[in-house]
Amino acid sequence: MTTSQRWQRILIVLGCAVIAYAVLAPLTSLDGAQALNLPLLTDKLWFRLATITAMFVVMATAWNIIGGLTGYAAFGNVAFFGIGAYTTGMLIAKAKWPFLLALPLAPVAAAIFAVLVGLPLLRLRGHYFAVASLGVGVAVGELVQNLDYRGEPIFGGASGLFMPIFAVPNRDLYFFYLMLGAAGVSIAVTWAVIRSRFGYGLIAIRENEEAAAVIGVNTTAYKVAAFALAAALTGLAGGIFAQWNVFIDQENSFPIAYNVEMILMALLGGTGTVFGPAAGAVVLQLLIQFLSGSLPITLDLPFVPEDAMPVLAQVVLGVLLALVVIFAPRGVIDFFGGRSRLTVAYLRRSLRETSI
Amino acid sequence: MKKHILALLAVAGLVTLACGSGSNQGAQGSTIVLGAPLGLTGSLTKESALTKQGYDLWLDWINKQGGINVNGTKHPVTIKYYDDTSNANQSAVLMQKLITEDKANFLLGPYGSAATATDAAIAEQNQIPMVEANGAAQSIFNQGYKYTFGVLSPANKYLQGVLDMAATLNPKPTKIAMLSADDNFSLEVAQGVNDYATGLGMQVVVYKKYKNGATALTAEVQAAKAVNPDIVLNSGHLAEAIAIHKAAKEQKLNAKIFAYSVGPSTPDFIKSLGKDADYVYDGSQWTPQVKYKSQFYLSVSDYVAAYKAKYPGEGDPDYHVAESTAACLALQRAIEKANSLDAKKVRDALAALDVTTFYGRIKFDSRGINTFKPMVVEQIQGGEHHTVFPSDVADKKPMYPTPSWDQR
Amino acid sequence: MADLVQLVTIGLLAGGIYAAVGVGFSLVWGVLNIVNLAHGALVIVGAYLTWQIFTASGLDPFLTLPIDAVALFAFGYVVQRGVINRIIRAPLLFTFLLTFGLNLIAVNVLLLIFKSDFRSVTTAYSGAGLDLGGIVVPYIRLAALGIALLVAAALALLLNRTRVGLAIQAVGSDRDAAQLVGIDLRHAYAVTYGLGAACAGVAGGLIAMIQAITPTAGEPYTLQAFVVVILGGLGRVSATVVGGLVFGLVEAFAQSIPGSGSVFANAIAFGVMVLVLVTRPQGLLGRLR
Repeated sequence: MTTSQRWQRILIVLGCAVIAYAVLAPLTSLDGAQALNLPLLTDKLWFRLATITAMFVVMATAWNIIGGLTGYAAFGNVAFFGIGAYTTGMLIAKAKWPFLLALPLAPVAAAIFAVLVGLPLLRLRGHYFAVASLGVGVAVGELVQNLDYRGEPIFGGASGLFMPIFAVPNRDLYFFYLMLGAAGVSIAVTWAVIRSRFGYGLIAIRENEEAAAVIGVNTTAYKVAAFALAAALTGLAGGIFAQWNVFIDQENSFPIAYNVEMILMALLGGTGTVFGPAAGAVVLQLLIQFLSGSLPITLDLPFVPEDAMPVLAQVVLGVLLALVVIFAPRGVIDFFGGRSRLTVAYLRRSLRETSI
Repeated sequence: MKKHILALLAVAGLVTLACGSGSNQGAQGSTIVLGAPLGLTGSLTKESALTKQGYDLWLDWINKQGGINVNGTKHPVTIKYYDDTSNANQSAVLMQKLITEDKANFLLGPYGSAATATDAAIAEQNQIPMVEANGAAQSIFNQGYKYTFGVLSPANKYLQGVLDMAATLNPKPTKIAMLSADDNFSLEVAQGVNDYATGLGMQVVVYKKYKNGATALTAEVQAAKAVNPDIVLNSGHLAEAIAIHKAAKEQKLNAKIFAYSVGPSTPDFIKSLGKDADYVYDGSQWTPQVKYKSQFYLSVSDYVAAYKAKYPGEGDPDYHVAESTAACLALQRAIEKANSLDAKKVRDALAALDVTTFYGRIKFDSRGINTFKPMVVEQIQGGEHHTVFPSDVADKKPMYPTPSWDQR
Repeated sequence: MADLVQLVTIGLLAGGIYAAVGVGFSLVWGVLNIVNLAHGALVIVGAYLTWQIFTASGLDPFLTLPIDAVALFAFGYVVQRGVINRIIRAPLLFTFLLTFGLNLIAVNVLLLIFKSDFRSVTTAYSGAGLDLGGIVVPYIRLAALGIALLVAAALALLLNRTRVGLAIQAVGSDRDAAQLVGIDLRHAYAVTYGLGAACAGVAGGLIAMIQAITPTAGEPYTLQAFVVVILGGLGRVSATVVGGLVFGLVEAFAQSIPGSGSVFANAIAFGVMVLVLVTRPQGLLGRLR
């Protein structure tokens, strides 16, 4: 067995183990399991962190469709997250809809918005598209917070929207599985897209848009569809987040930092692949939470005062980001997927390819 | 990379395990763990640092006493802090960690209404009482949460004291220019002014909202200048207060009263503006000159002395410090009255609490916020803070009217 | 009417600062094709440098500006030569992310050193200004506008009249051809980024005199630089200056809308930007890239 094949095996086994753990471990928190004296593998903190991780898996995988497959690096996808969150939030808080009825409308609203905004925006290329999508992402959040109608904020304004707690039994488990389901859907959708004509069209657009048009791909329709698909999935995550968090406002539903984080996750794992962004999301989220001190295991550096740790953590994150971007631009899954080997020569080559 | 992360985690686990103290069996009772996520870095760091000072002052004192008395046993206290980097979502995660991993018995609130709103939901779901001192937005308390208590006066009262004071002054000012940041807390403060002014015969002639955190506020100041106001009010945070006052000087906006919520009471305000900070009023939860008779813990003057001893060079404690200490006091008294560390019993004791401390009266209304303590007004005179209203706690008279910029 | 004049004055004065922030950003984007998300950090480093020198030595803050320029130039040169040059040929996504990472590092190192206290540069003449028949023109802001224009003019002169400048322009239009002609790409790139950083540093020094600074205060300026550059257009320094002044005016007028006009300032700015991108991507004065 060659090294790359071995790596591939290891990766597959590891991936399956993580998925099995994610799906089965929460079951130990059920009363029935506890009655059988099964060890409690998950607690409330575990659920919170796991749900957030699943949320990022959805967002990173969704971004991959427009950014990785189609090559249009959107920098404002958090707008769709927020739209999804507020759609669900408004329906629940103001129109008093039940959660499960309100949730499906989140991806619908996000997709509609993506189509409206995408038609003009996707005519732009490269930097311009990135900057414009960033602008849209910021502007939408601002508008949602500040739009008033006859003096009253339409969307809850600065005080945000409060929803009823939705106290189902095993609430944490319920929302985790919901978010995990959304993650599964995103990955499945990506898998289906990559294998379809639609997916080939997207990749053709990424590689050479003019040529794709020449061979008959309706580039506008394909791009907008990809954008809407990414939006719908991201909006779904937002909708689940809204009820799970009980409270939404501009700050927690349109966080600008998420834009970069979801891109970074896709990048880390490998854009253009099915499982890459998901893997990147899990790893990066673990790292971020570890550095923020949220994990049960913490690091005590002897010469660093404790209150400087989060700042130092950000510095570490920045350095890591720089290193990954410089040395491993094709994503880490490149090594483990067996296409390349992690050697100094690879790093050198990677570097030479991109520097001047 | 995944493999390397796992290895890193394993090493980290071996290096040190720095979890919460849990059950420290000392000679006395078990240690009570209080959890406090604060924005120690990020946009709210200044205010969060003051909050931490308030918590720590009480911590030193209570541990010197041996701890909180429950049924004859004294339980030492420890406070576990986490930095949520002024991010409300992160605050939620850390709050959950404090409950689940660090086994916090009770929770102390974060800084800021956004974080408090998110954390209140968590406290509610985990059924652990949270006493907070730094989230004044009433929307938090209108949700019917049973486990969150706020010792501070609600947001809408912040500048009402200034208006009350203004009503006693001669010549009586009537035209108000109201500037407000667009965050939840600031808008409630402004709404409080809007609701209260007409009852005193005053009128808000211009009301401008601006983006939270904005630093270019010249146009807003200009709009205020255009109406020739008697009173200029700002509801926002430290950075905006500084920006507005600088712009007021530049644009030569003159008024009889300049009053800002949050900002003038912090040391940075005077440091940044120097002599220009004089004459500015502040609606304050507490000042060192108040004359409340404290039923337990330190008297007002002893508190100020203790602060100066522990934090030299900062001047007098500002109200963020005091209200944070008050939160701890409320929790302490509730635990003592409940004679138990059971979450439910302490929660009920908090709901029934009625006590006067150096901070003033602490009693929670049915929603969980302290509507029973008045706001005081202070003014910066000659580079120092002085309480000027109400007269029974004031140590100086207000210097009124504020001289125009050309005459200073 | 007087109010209108005052509003225009406020807008132009603010616009001067935006122009100063924008020219460095525009240079780096236009020539190197790098959208420098760390630009705000460079600005705030310049601000802290001015504050530090002023506080330590009492030197008039205006005199610290040349020091800012030189120091930031050196810093920018090293960063470009050592780090950013490594990914020039990579897709644009990577430069975005790299500069984002650099921004993260810079801001947090500042936080470690200076904590998050607000610092101010207050001189004897802070807040004083001219009073032209009721229209107030603060001295510092007027001087800032003047210096911003000066910096822009100097930059334009350098780009058009010196060998270095022409080399930079050559690299900007056709990198490989420039290399064939014998221009040292690495050096040219580094000089360009250094110049961009120098401009940012001077802008930062001006900002320190006008507002209270804290390490995270540079972020909004990066976002605003985007809008300014798109508005004015890439390719010429004068375009960015116009963009900055226009943006200052738009912001001032948005803020004067009664009630909550100002809270939409960001939304308006970005809305304008998106509009410009979609209808006239080369901006008001720029050339299409």
